[in-house]
Amino acid sequence: MSARILNRDELLRLIDEAARDRRLIGPVRHGEHTFYEPADRAAELDLEGPPCVYSPKAHFFPPEETLLTFERKSRSFVTRTVRHETPTALVAVRPCEIHGIRLLDHVFGAAPADEGYLARRRATFIIALDCIHPCRDEAFCGDLGTNTAHLGFDLMIRRLSDAEEGSREAERFELISATEDGASLLSRTRLGRTVDRADLDAVRAYERSKASAFPRRLSCEADRLPEVAQRGYASAVWERTAARCYSCGSCNLVCPTCYCFNLRDEVSLDGKSGARVREWDGCQLREFALVAGGHNFRAAPAERLRHRVMRKASWIAQRTGLPGCVGCGRCDRACTAKISLVEILNTLAREQDHDHAGHS
Amino acid sequence: MTTLDTLELPETKDPYEPVVARLIETEPLTELERLFVFEPSDGQVLGHRPGQFVQVWIPGVGEAPISICSSPTRGRTFELCVRRVGEVTSHLHRLTAGEEIGVRGPLGNGFDMTAMQGQNVLVIAGGLGLAPARSVIEYVLDERARFDEFHVLYGARSPAEILFRHDLIRWRHREAINLLVTVDRPDEQWRGRSGVVTKLFADLPRLNPERTCAVVIGPPVMFKFVVVELLARGIPHDRIFCSLERRMRCGIGKCGHCQINADYVCVDGPVFTYERMRELPEAVT
Repeated sequence: MSARILNRDELLRLIDEAARDRRLIGPVRHGEHTFYEPADRAAELDLEGPPCVYSPKAHFFPPEETLLTFERKSRSFVTRTVRHETPTALVAVRPCEIHGIRLLDHVFGAAPADEGYLARRRATFIIALDCIHPCRDEAFCGDLGTNTAHLGFDLMIRRLSDAEEGSREAERFELISATEDGASLLSRTRLGRTVDRADLDAVRAYERSKASAFPRRLSCEADRLPEVAQRGYASAVWERTAARCYSCGSCNLVCPTCYCFNLRDEVSLDGKSGARVREWDGCQLREFALVAGGHNFRAAPAERLRHRVMRKASWIAQRTGLPGCVGCGRCDRACTAKISLVEILNTLAREQDHDHAGHS
Repeated sequence: MTTLDTLELPETKDPYEPVVARLIETEPLTELERLFVFEPSDGQVLGHRPGQFVQVWIPGVGEAPISICSSPTRGRTFELCVRRVGEVTSHLHRLTAGEEIGVRGPLGNGFDMTAMQGQNVLVIAGGLGLAPARSVIEYVLDERARFDEFHVLYGARSPAEILFRHDLIRWRHREAINLLVTVDRPDEQWRGRSGVVTKLFADLPRLNPERTCAVVIGPPVMFKFVVVELLARGIPHDRIFCSLERRMRCGIGKCGHCQINADYVCVDGPVFTYERMRELPEAVT
């Protein structure tokens, strides 16, 4: 690991250097919101704004993509695998999103590996942007420990001046590398300067400030979530909450750890050629667990809501050892019915405390 | 490039790329079901276990998960019994010998035939469940010396819906298998047993439960009743093997469609022990 201290101008030049042989993607502001979008120069990016509306998963796992193309021969066919590996610098990725990407890496990288995903992933240089305080009320990354990331990126930006009183002239950024590629960009560009004693004091102040900035929103410890969710399987909270769920799948759409998909064929007008296409799917949509013959294994909205929460709080962690929810709060914000994941989890924890009190 | 373990692995074959399989022959089994005999066009063998499935791909139409209904002991071909219910299966039914389709697999865990070695094997199949069950039945018949008593109970809705008639006749004439068949709705010509498949348990000899493995394949409603019978006979939870059906899409444990609670049918299944199923409340709803 290496680190350097940069001012704003140097930071923008560093990002432009990272994007010299790569496409640049980062937060671009549209009105109140930011979105991960291509930009020509670092100066076009909004590094101070709120986290992007959608997580950066779309960059590795697009909402729709062609996996292979085919051509029909008289009684047979030939296929050709399609790869998209445009070298990309992905900038200002938040720690919670880094955890989301790590989960996707695990899922798509597990044998048999999804080579299309990995090709995009290998071609991406990630510059993360640390958070010194929660980005919004809905976030509960502080409870899950996903407000901090130590790997899963090439470089991470920490705005040390956020922990200090000071003018814009004093703005200081610490750049930390987590990979050789990150370290080599720092040493090659030689932007900014090495870390001095005063910077170390600032780093300590930053870390102190960050440690107390994230309020606890979960009423149980994060490592108890799988158990709380499992024990709440028969809770009334699912029916009660799902009564106002529209099954619209907005939560799936914005979630950094939702990766369910569908596969379908597209065919040319003459029927002779076509493509095998992958598109995002969502477990909250009614058709998700529909099987041939018409049976729906999760026909009720309450069953679907429970499925999603169980995945986030328990099942993904059971399968991968990684957090299934990164606490970004996007689902709560996106929900048209104001359903809150944290509230559901807290309700389950509370019910179980009551049960426990009742039995003792 | 971000350094992570999985990203350093050498590139492997794309899991969505199918292999080409040629249709050798096909015959109707009932009004809705046909049997298809395929051979991988690259000269390889599929290399499946009884109970595994393949994703069958008709380019331009789509994929459908289909159980393999033949035993790996039967050479280079593999067989699929397909009910015409959707677009992919309708296209399959129109294929003629020599045509080629795409196949991904074998997928899923399949039955652990080694665990059944030296044991009595009791197969209970309902409806289309006889198709995957046939891969087990032929396997046991071909490797007969490795297993003890062999009982097969099969229930169909009506005489017209009985699958694999020729096989049933062949099997019945082998001494090495006790085959019992029933139909829910007999017609006037039917001279066999009638009633649901669980009624056949009354005609089974006593089996030592500590030395018996049960294979259960059928519609969800059948599981509950069959499992009750098996438990009443003292067969241990971890020796009741059930094959579950879901709409698998990716077939490799990623897309989420076949998930039952924490498990994925396409990689953790389709074969689950009753012991595991008890922890999966969605398994047979």
